Amino acid sequence: MLPILYVLLGLFRPTNENWQIVKQYLLTDYVLGSAKLVLFTGFFAALLGVVLAWLVVGYTFPLRRFFRWALVLPLAVPPYIAAYTYSTMTSYTGFIQSTLRNQFDIKLPPGTIEIMSSKGAIFIMTLFLFPYVFMLTRTFLERQSASYIENARLLGRSRLSLFIKVVLPLSRPAIISGVMLVVFEVFSDYGVASYFGMQTVSTAIFQTWFGMYDVDSAIRLAAWLLIVIIGLFVIERFLRRNRQFNATTSQSRPLKPQQMKGIAAWGATAFCSIIFLLAFIVPLTQIIVWTTWTYHKIWRADFIDLMVNSLSGAAIATAVIMIIALLSARTARMLSSSLAYGVSRLMTAGYAIPGAIVAIGVLAVFIALDQRLSTVYEWLGKGEGALVLSLSLSMLITGYIIRFMATGYNAIESGYEKLPRVYTEASRTLGRGNTKSFFKVELPLLKGAVITGFILTIVEIMKELPLTLLLRPFNFDTLATRTYQYAIDERIYDAALPSLLLIGISLISVLLIVRLEKEK
Amino acid sequence: MNFVAIKHVTFRYARRQPPVIDDFSCTLNKGEVVGILGASGSGKSSLLRLVAGLELPEKGSIMIDGMMMVNDGLYVDVENRGVGMVFQDYALFPHLNVVENIAFGLHKLKRAARKERVQEMLELVQLTDYAKRYPHELSGGQQQRVALARALAPKPSILLMDEPFSSLDASLKTSIRSELRQILRKAEMTCLLVSHDAADIEAICDRSIRIQKEMAEATA
Repeated sequence: MLPILYVLLGLFRPTNENWQIVKQYLLTDYVLGSAKLVLFTGFFAALLGVVLAWLVVGYTFPLRRFFRWALVLPLAVPPYIAAYTYSTMTSYTGFIQSTLRNQFDIKLPPGTIEIMSSKGAIFIMTLFLFPYVFMLTRTFLERQSASYIENARLLGRSRLSLFIKVVLPLSRPAIISGVMLVVFEVFSDYGVASYFGMQTVSTAIFQTWFGMYDVDSAIRLAAWLLIVIIGLFVIERFLRRNRQFNATTSQSRPLKPQQMKGIAAWGATAFCSIIFLLAFIVPLTQIIVWTTWTYHKIWRADFIDLMVNSLSGAAIATAVIMIIALLSARTARMLSSSLAYGVSRLMTAGYAIPGAIVAIGVLAVFIALDQRLSTVYEWLGKGEGALVLSLSLSMLITGYIIRFMATGYNAIESGYEKLPRVYTEASRTLGRGNTKSFFKVELPLLKGAVITGFILTIVEIMKELPLTLLLRPFNFDTLATRTYQYAIDERIYDAALPSLLLIGISLISVLLIVRLEKEK
Repeated sequence: MNFVAIKHVTFRYARRQPPVIDDFSCTLNKGEVVGILGASGSGKSSLLRLVAGLELPEKGSIMIDGMMMVNDGLYVDVENRGVGMVFQDYALFPHLNVVENIAFGLHKLKRAARKERVQEMLELVQLTDYAKRYPHELSGGQQQRVALARALAPKPSILLMDEPFSSLDASLKTSIRSELRQILRKAEMTCLLVSHDAADIEAICDRSIRIQKEMAEATA
């Protein structure tokens, strides 16, 4: 938490000249850019997610069961990969225009399909982030809504009014949680916005840091963004307060979907198919095709290094996260309920904080640490003003730990919720101490939760772009940074192989989430 | 001298709530099986948890086998009390089989001695044929016997049983009651048993104590 506090303190330090320039000429653009992206993406993702969730839960139509889980898959495609895939596909030399031109002799006027724009960014973000809303809303509707919706049907409500008057208000808490996840992702995004040349606060942090070498202003920007995000966090809690509708009926019978026939049913299938094709199959196929073109060129010895880098950095960070998560979840369990609640909120707040902010905080703290330790370094013969910690991998790993603690902690916490306290108590009455009980009883029973948490966290870390770009040691590349590097160098085809690997890795965690849901 | 002496014990879950147990005292002689009877919410289970050391009393003292377990300045940790407990839903470790469950509290014994003791306990509760089964592969009555064997294996000075029949079918109850009584007699165990059903207590215990609590009714 220290680095985050450090960022916030940045607000109270005196401003420098550069900040005046940033404030006067650039700040409005950054804020408007971010606001536009967040508002539109949030709105469209909510719309798409909720409509699809209700279709899949409330009605039967061909392939409904398939779409129930398939529509979660777009989450496996990192938006920055989708961004350059789509922009290349739709460019003049891309697959779409060249096919139209060569096969059908149709020439599109330039600018007909312009993905490299703020509209394009919204399109990409919506398409690849809506599954958050879809997943949460769908689960909620399936589990908790049956009696209300059946009642409304009995009372003779039409389909549309059922959706607007019952489904929407009922699922409000789930929709809000889903949209918030989308919003936090958008705030956090660096890849899409920078590739499309959009001005957002996240890209601005990079520019002031790497372009103007003005860390103070970068921290100041980060602090303001952080304030906005904390505000949103509070609003989310506020909106969800007293909105636990599930209190009145205890039985959670699954909702029986209504028959949909004829054109309507096929329409639903077509709609789901289009979304699924656009958000998963099309970009994936394109990347696979490109991979076959460049496979031999990219798959070299240094590519193995790249994978080892990605995996080892992520694995170390994940291991530390799991240990901290286990310790703190266990401590929280033994505390009073309100204190435990506080701990768990604090531990899980990290996911809302954009990678760039975490990065700046960590960097600032590490540089300060290096200054403190400079006498030690001199004594070790490193010379004056040496930077040891802030040039090492430990900085990146610290960043990962802060940013992704929530993923690991949530998994452990939900594991503990399912584990009755009596097991520990029984073990202790049988003469095993606190620590022994943990290793002999709790840990084996939490094994599933620990493995799940490990996989989800390691995948998240391997996908992470902005944090890695900012904090990596010199010459340390991961799959994500290399993909991004190829993409901004316009070597899109070369980026295909690492992209494909990243999607494959992400797919593991998405499928794991889908499976976990089924078990519940 | 009494084997177990509970004196003026007061306990509450949260500071602002009325006490669940208010100035309660009782004594047990060695080898005696005593039942505690009371409505739900009367603090029966809390009393067992206090004796086991899973909760800390606000006031009062508890002495077991001549040793002070808890008073104003002293608190012996759960794992050092030598108290056996059978939980309401048995709390058998789902990742361990019957033998491993029973052997769980025998970590201080040598391997051979441990094996022998487990065998002894399996015979006592007549589960020798089920040694390698996991808890979910056993019936409710069998699970209860495993829980009993596990609690008795380390030779505790006192056995605590929390609603031992609540998870069992009514049809099974009668036979299991007499079985339990026999096992306890055979093991010469001092036992404190809690139940809301007077028939349970009558069938097993030498004598019974009724906990009365007026506050408990207010919530109903």
